[in-house]
Amino acid sequence: MATKIDRRNFLKVLGLGGAGAALAGCDMPSYATLEEGEEQVFSYLAPEEYMVPGIGVWYASTCLQCAAGCGVHGRVREGHALKLEGNPDTAVNKGKLCQMGQSALQTHYNPDRITSPRIGEKNVTWPEALAFIKEKVTGAPVWMTGSISGHQAVLLDIHLNASGGGAHYAVETVNAQVWQAACADALGDAQPNLHIDKALSVLSFGADFLGTWISPVKFMADYGAFRAAPRGVLTVVEPAMTLSGANADHWVAARPGSEAAVALGVAQVLATAYSVSTSALPSGAADAIAAMTPERVSALSGVDAKTLSKIARTLMSNSPSLVIGDGSYETAAAAMMLNLMLGNVGATITPGVELIPTDLGVRNGSTKALADFATDAQAGRIGTAFITGANPVFTAPGGLKIEDALAKIGLKVAVAMFEDETTALCDVVLPLASSLEDWGTHVPATGAGRGEVHVQQPLMEKLHPDVLGLGDIMLGLAQDAGADGLEDFEDYYGYLRTAISAMIGADLEPAWQAVLQAGKVQAPAADRAFTANGAIAINVPETSAPTAGQLSLITTARQGLFDGRHANLPWLQEAPDQISKAVWDSWAEIHPATAAGLGLKDGDYVTITSDSGAITTRVFLYKGVHPDAIAVPMGRGHTHYGRYATGIGVNPLSLLDGTADARTGEFINTTSVRVHATGDNRHLVRLMDVDSQYGRKLAATISADQLRRNQANKQGSA
Amino acid sequence: MPSLLGNIFKGWADYSKGNEEGGHHDYEHMYALAIDLDLCTGCNACSTACYAENNLPVVGEDKFGARQAMHWLRVERYFDEPDMDKIEDTNATDTQSRGASFLPMMCQHCNAAPCEPVCPVGATYHTVDGLNAQVYNRCIGSRYCANNCPFRVRYFNFYDNADSWPAPMDQQLNPDISVRSKGVMEKCSMCIQRTRAARDTAKREGRELKDGDIQTACQQTCPTSAILFGDLLDEASAISKVWKRHQVKLGTYKQDKENPELRGYRIFEELNVDTKVLYLERVREV
Amino acid sequence: MAAQQNLTHKHLTDEQTKDIDENIEWAKINADVLRSMENPRRGYWVAMFISVALFSVMIYAEVYQYQFGMGPAALNTSHMWDLYISTFVFWIGMSHSGTLLSAILHLVHADWRKPIYRFAEAMTTFSLLTAGIFPVIHLGRVWNFYWVMPYMSDRGLWPNFRSPLIWDAFAITAYLTSSVLFLYIGMIPDLAICRDNAKGWRKKLYTWLSLGWRGDDAQWRNFRFTYLMIACLLIPLAVSVHSIVSMDFSMSIMPGWHVTTFPPYFVAGALYSGCAAIITLFILLRYFFKFEHFMTMPILDKVCKLTFVIAMVWTYLNLVEFASVWYGHDIPSKEVLLAKASGPYSPFFWAMMFFGSVLPFALLSQWIRRNMYVLFFVSVFLNVGMWLERWMIVTPTLSLGYHPQAFNVMWPGWVEWAMVGGSFGWFGMLFLAFVKVFPSVSMYEVKEMVYHRKRTVYEDVDEMMNLHSGVPGPEPDLGPTPAPQTTGGA
Repeated sequence: MATKIDRRNFLKVLGLGGAGAALAGCDMPSYATLEEGEEQVFSYLAPEEYMVPGIGVWYASTCLQCAAGCGVHGRVREGHALKLEGNPDTAVNKGKLCQMGQSALQTHYNPDRITSPRIGEKNVTWPEALAFIKEKVTGAPVWMTGSISGHQAVLLDIHLNASGGGAHYAVETVNAQVWQAACADALGDAQPNLHIDKALSVLSFGADFLGTWISPVKFMADYGAFRAAPRGVLTVVEPAMTLSGANADHWVAARPGSEAAVALGVAQVLATAYSVSTSALPSGAADAIAAMTPERVSALSGVDAKTLSKIARTLMSNSPSLVIGDGSYETAAAAMMLNLMLGNVGATITPGVELIPTDLGVRNGSTKALADFATDAQAGRIGTAFITGANPVFTAPGGLKIEDALAKIGLKVAVAMFEDETTALCDVVLPLASSLEDWGTHVPATGAGRGEVHVQQPLMEKLHPDVLGLGDIMLGLAQDAGADGLEDFEDYYGYLRTAISAMIGADLEPAWQAVLQAGKVQAPAADRAFTANGAIAINVPETSAPTAGQLSLITTARQGLFDGRHANLPWLQEAPDQISKAVWDSWAEIHPATAAGLGLKDGDYVTITSDSGAITTRVFLYKGVHPDAIAVPMGRGHTHYGRYATGIGVNPLSLLDGTADARTGEFINTTSVRVHATGDNRHLVRLMDVDSQYGRKLAATISADQLRRNQANKQGSA
Repeated sequence: MPSLLGNIFKGWADYSKGNEEGGHHDYEHMYALAIDLDLCTGCNACSTACYAENNLPVVGEDKFGARQAMHWLRVERYFDEPDMDKIEDTNATDTQSRGASFLPMMCQHCNAAPCEPVCPVGATYHTVDGLNAQVYNRCIGSRYCANNCPFRVRYFNFYDNADSWPAPMDQQLNPDISVRSKGVMEKCSMCIQRTRAARDTAKREGRELKDGDIQTACQQTCPTSAILFGDLLDEASAISKVWKRHQVKLGTYKQDKENPELRGYRIFEELNVDTKVLYLERVREV
Repeated sequence: MAAQQNLTHKHLTDEQTKDIDENIEWAKINADVLRSMENPRRGYWVAMFISVALFSVMIYAEVYQYQFGMGPAALNTSHMWDLYISTFVFWIGMSHSGTLLSAILHLVHADWRKPIYRFAEAMTTFSLLTAGIFPVIHLGRVWNFYWVMPYMSDRGLWPNFRSPLIWDAFAITAYLTSSVLFLYIGMIPDLAICRDNAKGWRKKLYTWLSLGWRGDDAQWRNFRFTYLMIACLLIPLAVSVHSIVSMDFSMSIMPGWHVTTFPPYFVAGALYSGCAAIITLFILLRYFFKFEHFMTMPILDKVCKLTFVIAMVWTYLNLVEFASVWYGHDIPSKEVLLAKASGPYSPFFWAMMFFGSVLPFALLSQWIRRNMYVLFFVSVFLNVGMWLERWMIVTPTLSLGYHPQAFNVMWPGWVEWAMVGGSFGWFGMLFLAFVKVFPSVSMYEVKEMVYHRKRTVYEDVDEMMNLHSGVPGPEPDLGPTPAPQTTGGA
């Protein structure tokens, strides 16, 4: 079915969407609102009643810097958003915000924003861009987005349905797909609630829950409760230290890819030394566990029997526990087996929450979607692609050859805030409003708040007049595709207001103001239920020490630059990496013994080569990485991403070959590489060049035994 | 002449009385911080929030490498634990066996600040709130204060960092706090602009300031609530309860704790600078 | 010259043992010194050119720094002070030369100082003027430097009197004022001689400066008293000024700076570098202006011995500082000391120890003391050692303070070196101008010295006076006949 994008309809969307609709700030008298749909100019001579120069007004909105969807309060003075804080009323983050959320201001005020539509190299007007799209569109268009939820997702589906039933590829490099698959297989619920705060021990196999996994701010708040008396114990098993690992009481280096073996090895110790029953496990699991003797674990992972017993002892002595895993399906599944054995299911893992309006729910991004997209594009099945919230040219594994796939797509339209590697290859680029200028609803990644849907509203007027909000664009496209039921809406604001009013069952102004002031709307929700588990296949890979001259490359994600999307924010480039404390450049983490074997010292440049590509960066020596591994964090290495990111660092994703996990189709983030010194050396710029306190009492530590003595003495609790 | 002598004697009397009472010197407030290192995950949100709140310039790789960066609050990371040396690490292998120790370090607002007496023009002084204030207008940039700071938390504007905010980034600047020019010293102010704003709000509403009215930017954003800010002279405040619970007193360089294993401590306390940031030791399960 | 054997040093000639030849004609003294102020030769202009060039580089560097901030000086969060402060202390130290020679030796009636104290006093004044540049240019906001002065500001603000930097400002101002006064007042009789022998703009200048000096009894009596009083004032000022400058460091809590012995240590170091500079300038002036008759080898000998003694005092105080740190409990201080000896700055530390404590032993050798060429280089290196000492006080402490996050090794950049070199250029400019405009040897005091030496040699005053009564004695070879003397000159 041919898609007709009617110019006049679309033009109606321009200039109205997002511009000065009702802004309800907190603690504001409800009669002081703006007229809908009118342009607003703030005059100091006759300001609005609520706008007092010098006094900030706080508006509630939602952070879109990652998929967690935390609620924010934005401080606005004289029409400018100046500071973001967490929204105290949203259950996900309870008033807290991570450094990516704080930096949303720089996303919004970034000097490299796209301010005008363009076709090829030429800046054009919106009507010209839309006319071009209308002319060139072929077949049923597809959408590539990141994780997406709320009413934007609804409109996206409506558009796709109305325009020929094209596919929606939700792509996220940093995701929890393997964990969700393991939970679905073992529990029948892909997104159960994880109660870190209720656990007395947490064992993580590479799941960076404090850094980048699912909803870090929420987990950090839970972690605070976890560490409060009685204090929980954190054990982390992973090939390279993540932020969660950096906070572990006990950190274990495991060969890349062998975390599942370690997990099953721990299960084996539990079954043998502690006689924990394996009867609750799905068939197939018990055998896998029995086969994983300490000797076999040691051979596969390098983790010795003493460590396995220690981990098992910690779990048994500190109950209830919680075991989580990431990186591969096997790891996540093995972690889930431990949960089942230890009786955590029902205690620290409880069924998740299902939104009753299911169309609002999260479409979780995955790298499988990227693989499918590449496959479909290569096969010529994609004629037109709309891309937003994703930069596949940067994040795709080098072996996927995404650029070739994209070249096969007839019309590529990017809806973006910044020029990046993907927009550089697109035919049309439409400028997108930032999260501080746009309307939307978002369902948080966890089920916190039981049906709480976060509302996003503009904190200020659009900085650049020609940008449009995502919802407005989708609404316009859907209307022009002839979708039913959308004719009455002039803009996304109108659509959203109607939809939310329907959700709360009231459409009067005060009710709407209340929603905006809270920054959230409560949707009906139902608890899911765990179902009995059937069979599960845990195929532990045969990991062994790499052959001479080879190392295992791991691409890690850090809270900060994330998957590279925040590399153009100077605050985050200058924020030292949590573990290495490096700034403004990439580095490769390598164990000192491995480095010595290769004749490397700190700051030496190395070329890391795989079958899919090569990168050259400096090494950083420390003991928080397995000797067989070389870990390069992702996020830098942009070739097109504005003045703060272009030409800085290297992109390790280009070294991956695109091998996918068998069960989930997710890209494996490790590959075999060769490392050669280039001979150059330059000091890696870090916040601090020392890793030691030199015997001075700076960050002091007390053992947990001493702490327990404190509490027993009752002379003062900690 | 008699009044001059009288003033000198009175000044001395005030000073020594203040020292006896734990350095309170007739202060109206005594703002302090407590940071729980066991809760701090090292995520760096506090540092970024400080950049956003206080108009801190981003200096770029070269200047950062030359150690001319302006991070008022820096999160340090150490891999060693000197206090735990006495306890055998049964997990020790040639890879890390424990995580790291993170230390958010900012101006400690010492009651006996070594930076205050040495400024030739008196650009840094102790306010009646107990804060160590830096007056940007008065600073002529002799940098003696920074040399005298044992924590090295004073930052000097070695450049005019105007290129840190290319338009429209300059629209994000917080108008409650100035943008400093070259030649001026700056440091953490415990978000003094928020303190003043909260006081004004309380006055406007005709009430007293209460605990929780003022949140520093770092405290407000910290996802684990590791940072606590408040008024030590307010007996009902959360912060004075924490200081009391850990038996740490102002005005002394040797704490007399009944239970020496309480977690609260101050850094470089033996230098007798009387800091107002209480750190709670990180706990490690061995 | 009538030669008389001095019986104590049989192997040396008179020239080599007598501080001054007591038979020198007073007319010759005038003539030699006045001749030194005549039109300069090429060498002088070369030296002036170099000084101006160095100073211009400094101006350029300062303009650059003024525009861009202190960043180009390679300063950073750990190293907030570097060469500016260490060179400042160095120049203050150099300034103690004149005071030592002028004031202290005057009080102990060591008259061998008389031929050389003038240029030493000039060196004092110019060192202070050079040192005074640095507290201004090291400021981040140079244009507000006057805020350190206690003036009635419209905001009712006074400087912070608790700050050692303010004490510096007062001490240096007081010392500079007193030194200038001392130099000037001590020069008045000489300026009168110059007035009587000058023409053109010089005559106007000297007439104005000599304040109508006639040389009569009343004037001489007032003069002696005033001179003595200023000398007495100057000595405690000199001790205090460098003690106060040392308090920039000792009043701080930084490891390696918080040392009680700094005040005497700095004063000893100042006297040391002053004496070494006196040797250097002595050799230069003696050579270029042919002042062999006044700046004699025995005087140089005495200066070298004095230098050696002061060097040993300095060495002792240095070792006291090291010992107290070594045996103390202050771990950061001990680490700073070890870092000085074995860390990245250790080559400069050991150079300092060598030049400061080992090299002065060369001054014990009579051969070296009498060998101008070697002695010149020895004295220059003694001062290099003293400059290194100031640098080693400032920088290693800052590179290793209390907090490990701030540990940082920093090397000065071109801006700082330009300023340091420029300060030598500025000093050179001032000193070179001085020696051509003002008498660099104190004529009247040399005459006093000759008179007093003669009195010790000749029992008979009449016979002594005969030599100057106009009765022809042995003809001195003076060159062109000098102008008639007025009462002020003779």
